[in-house]
Amino acid sequence: MILNYLKTAWRNILSNKFYAAINVTGLTVGLVVGIFMLLWVQDELSFDRFNSKADNIYKVGIVGGTGLSKQIFSNIIAPVSTFAKNELPDVKDGVRIMAVGDAPFKYKDKVFYEDNFCFTDPSYFSVFDFPLIKGDKRNPFPDNNTIVITESTAKKYFGTEDPIGKTVIIGQNEPVSVTGVIADYPKNSSFQYRVMLPLSRFNYLAYIKNKTSYDGKTTVQSMDADWSSFSFQTYLLTKPNTKAAKLEKELQAIHERQKPEDAPVPYLTQPLPQMHLYQADGTDGGMSTVRMFAIVAVMILVIACINYVNLSTARSMLRAKEVSIRKIIGAGKFQLFMQFMVETALLFALAAAVAIALMFILLPYYNQFSGKQIALNITSFNVWACVVITLIGTLTASSIYPALLLSSFEPLKALKGKVTAGIGTAAFRRILVVLQFSVSVVLIVSTLIIGKQLKYVFTKDLGYDKENIITFNMRDDMHKHADAVMNELKKDPSVLAATVSSRNMVVGGSSTGNNDWDGKPKSSNLWFNQIHGDKNLIDFFKIKLIQGSNFTGVVADSSHFIINETAVKEMGLSGNVIGKRLRIQTINGTIIGVVKDFHFQNLHKKIEPVVFQYNPANSWRVYLKITNANAQRAIAISTAVWKQYNNDVPFNYAFLDDSYRRIYSDDSRQGQLFNIFSAIAIVISCLGLFGLATYSAQVKTREIGIRKVLGASVARIITLLAREFMILIALSTAIGLPVAWYAMNKWLQDFAYKTNIGWAVFAFAAFAAAAVALATISVQSIKAALANPVKSLRSE
Amino acid sequence: MIKITNLEKFYRTEEVETIALNKLSMHVDTGEFVAIMGPSGCGKSTLLNILGMLDDPDEGSYVFNDIEVAHFNERKRADLRKHNIGFVFQSFNLIDELTVFENVELPLIYTGVSAAERVKRVEEVLDKMQIMHRRNHYPQQLSGGQQQRVAIARAVVNKPKLILADEPTGNLDSSNGNDVMELLTDLNEQGTTIIMVTHSEHDARYSHRIIRLLDGQTVMENIMV
Ligand SMILES: Nc1ncnc2c1ncn2[C@@H]1O[C@H](COP(=O)(O)OP(=O)(O)OP(=O)(O)O)[C@@H](O)[C@H]1O
Ligand SMILES: [Mg+2]
Repeated sequence: MILNYLKTAWRNILSNKFYAAINVTGLTVGLVVGIFMLLWVQDELSFDRFNSKADNIYKVGIVGGTGLSKQIFSNIIAPVSTFAKNELPDVKDGVRIMAVGDAPFKYKDKVFYEDNFCFTDPSYFSVFDFPLIKGDKRNPFPDNNTIVITESTAKKYFGTEDPIGKTVIIGQNEPVSVTGVIADYPKNSSFQYRVMLPLSRFNYLAYIKNKTSYDGKTTVQSMDADWSSFSFQTYLLTKPNTKAAKLEKELQAIHERQKPEDAPVPYLTQPLPQMHLYQADGTDGGMSTVRMFAIVAVMILVIACINYVNLSTARSMLRAKEVSIRKIIGAGKFQLFMQFMVETALLFALAAAVAIALMFILLPYYNQFSGKQIALNITSFNVWACVVITLIGTLTASSIYPALLLSSFEPLKALKGKVTAGIGTAAFRRILVVLQFSVSVVLIVSTLIIGKQLKYVFTKDLGYDKENIITFNMRDDMHKHADAVMNELKKDPSVLAATVSSRNMVVGGSSTGNNDWDGKPKSSNLWFNQIHGDKNLIDFFKIKLIQGSNFTGVVADSSHFIINETAVKEMGLSGNVIGKRLRIQTINGTIIGVVKDFHFQNLHKKIEPVVFQYNPANSWRVYLKITNANAQRAIAISTAVWKQYNNDVPFNYAFLDDSYRRIYSDDSRQGQLFNIFSAIAIVISCLGLFGLATYSAQVKTREIGIRKVLGASVARIITLLAREFMILIALSTAIGLPVAWYAMNKWLQDFAYKTNIGWAVFAFAAFAAAAVALATISVQSIKAALANPVKSLRSE
Repeated sequence: MIKITNLEKFYRTEEVETIALNKLSMHVDTGEFVAIMGPSGCGKSTLLNILGMLDDPDEGSYVFNDIEVAHFNERKRADLRKHNIGFVFQSFNLIDELTVFENVELPLIYTGVSAAERVKRVEEVLDKMQIMHRRNHYPQQLSGGQQQRVAIARAVVNKPKLILADEPTGNLDSSNGNDVMELLTDLNEQGTTIIMVTHSEHDARYSHRIIRLLDGQTVMENIMV
């Protein structure tokens, strides 16, 4: 029986090559794009879930500040983990990670520049699923001078030699030996540290060898006694069924007992699997993009299914006779239903085969573009599950309705060509076309608005100058000779101006809540973003001073502050603030100037309070103003100066405007992807429309012939054929535009500073959809209208 | 075999109600060859469709092989139909996408006959209809007479007890028409009951009995000699 179905189905495809081609093309494109997007979504959702205890691991955060300066610290103080483990029965273990970057690792005469390693507790290897594959599992770090590395790091350093026991020199002269190796991290792990050092080593270096002090007076004996240094990612492994809210309260209680002056200090916990896609406070991080992609993926698949449903129900009228004959001869409804299901399945199998072949070809480009490493091989079970589920889902969605419709024809009526189902299905088909084009309109509008916002972001006057500036971070030795370095750089004619700062102007830097000023309200918990620099900093960036004066480099400047307008407002001050007292951390000083607000953070965020401090000693970052023409020379000079101090470390510099663009790379990528999505949605929709128009012209051949014989003009006939479709497109626009407006308003909410949506975007989208649809329809309509009526009448 | 009493069938549209069959009664015995005649629009096709259980009457009784089927639902009718009745139409109604062989094979597939048995029976009947040499052709490649022979082959392949033919010669020239009538006569002689609608007195003469309809009622029955 099935064989017979397949045979008939295959013949049917062959004898209707045109429709089969349209269907297969639409389905293939839809499947490739839909599946690729769903794979991306699946990968994003899978982050960190490979950890077998993931559900019982919480990342701990602390809420600091109030009002505008409220922020969440995802790096917290070291003692929390220790106290929690000792005092809370629910907490079984804790892991702290202090991430560091930028150090040369030497093995024999080879130097490896590592930019992603960390200090961590030994529990790192047991709480997370990163077990040692070489070394002592129970004791990964026998002493402070040991490291654990990943498999590929071991290969990079030692080739095929056994890494255990090998000595590596960190930095200038700190020998450590390798005591453990872990497998390379899965791609969907949030942790990707290639070298792990014991956290006790950090404790020794920072607290025992060099004394740390938080207020310039008290020295702290150990990191476990330092309640001020927010440097450690902290993860707690709890017993199953631990209540997060209770845990947070308990952590807060510990903190407030140990350091009462911080109270209230609310704690936050975040389950490990949520870390990748949600912010610490549980609001969407990457999740909004994931959700958007999932929706768009389903939309594109739906559009592809609609094509199939529309074309096959439209064409079912042409098959009414066949169905009737089969019924009269004895076919049951179920047998016919199965026949049409098999037909759809066969067409789907074709589309799926082409789609999978295409995916194999496109996979490298896809991985490059999406930054994923998805493999399509036998072992990638999840990937195939996603592919198969998508295929079955789309197959089911597109096969059932046409099969039901076709198998339910009443034989007598269908045989006489009086298929009354026509009216109902035509309405259904219209709804589907409207749905398709509504989605297309939404995607067109989204593309336009994302593009507009990106343009706004990239061309907005930020209130400071970021053009033609190169920047790099000094290292130890260089920083010790900062004055000489700066003088040498400034001497060169390619460098127009130079300054140093503690902050990367486009990326961000430190902030502090440890402050006081005359009249500070008791309830205020204001945080200042700190920008340390030399006396040139404000002029260098062309930041506008609107009150008071700039730093001059005198000794007294070290207790002078310049703040921004937002800081003035948030501090509750007004009028002339020059000379007012302000304490920032341990420095008690006065405000000498106020600058106009400028966007030192990305435009997703509202401008926050800023304090400038004169502190060249804490300014490690060099900024050089150059001109476009002599950029190469400036880079060459900087490289030469760099080499004098750090011969073995490569010179890493960046153009500030590049860095600025890079912080919006996610947004830019979204923009690009939306371009692709809308193009694809429109192509598939138009393919379907083209098929329907062809069918409609075909069905009306006779009617057109009669009308022409009776004297209708070609233009009239084209209008007759195109009118119905144009009404549908107008309807789609009417539905699509408000939906797009709503969705894009939501998307823009993520930006504190945004473009006006404006009506032009909507007008353009409506126009574009109508134009494309009209072009698609008219090909067929014109052909039908021009056909010789004698011929078309005879063919009936 | 067939006994209908006071059968009524109406067609209602918004403006008019047409009475296609008006309290029609008749009976057909097993082994008979009956012709139904009458002017256009008198209800011949309607009657044939009801007899063939493609349609249901609005009123009256229809007893087929001692079973009352007037109010059978579609599934039951379909079941009864596929085992007992074969159809022959004026316009052949072959499926264009299937070959001669496959068209004839179709009823056997739907009644669940095994593949080997199907080949045997299809070849047998194609032989009898003298169309064996065209078994792999598609309907469009055949003449009208050949197509009708295929249609008859398809109607008889399941060995139905009853064959309903609606103007089987309507689209054929007289020589092809006569061939078809010979075939039907042969089948009847081998025991198949045949009810045929026709406009041709010539064709009607092949039958045992002519039932004449007018406005949905029997007006006359002639017994042929
Ligand atoms: N589906 C229908 N809807 C409305 N009226 C119908 C329908 N089918 C048939 N009729 C009407 O019922 C009556 C009988 O039709 P029927 O087809 O049985 O005639 P007929 O005797 O077969 O005619 P002909 O010799 O022309 O084939 C006619 O008046 C016809 O108009
Ligand atoms: Mg008729």
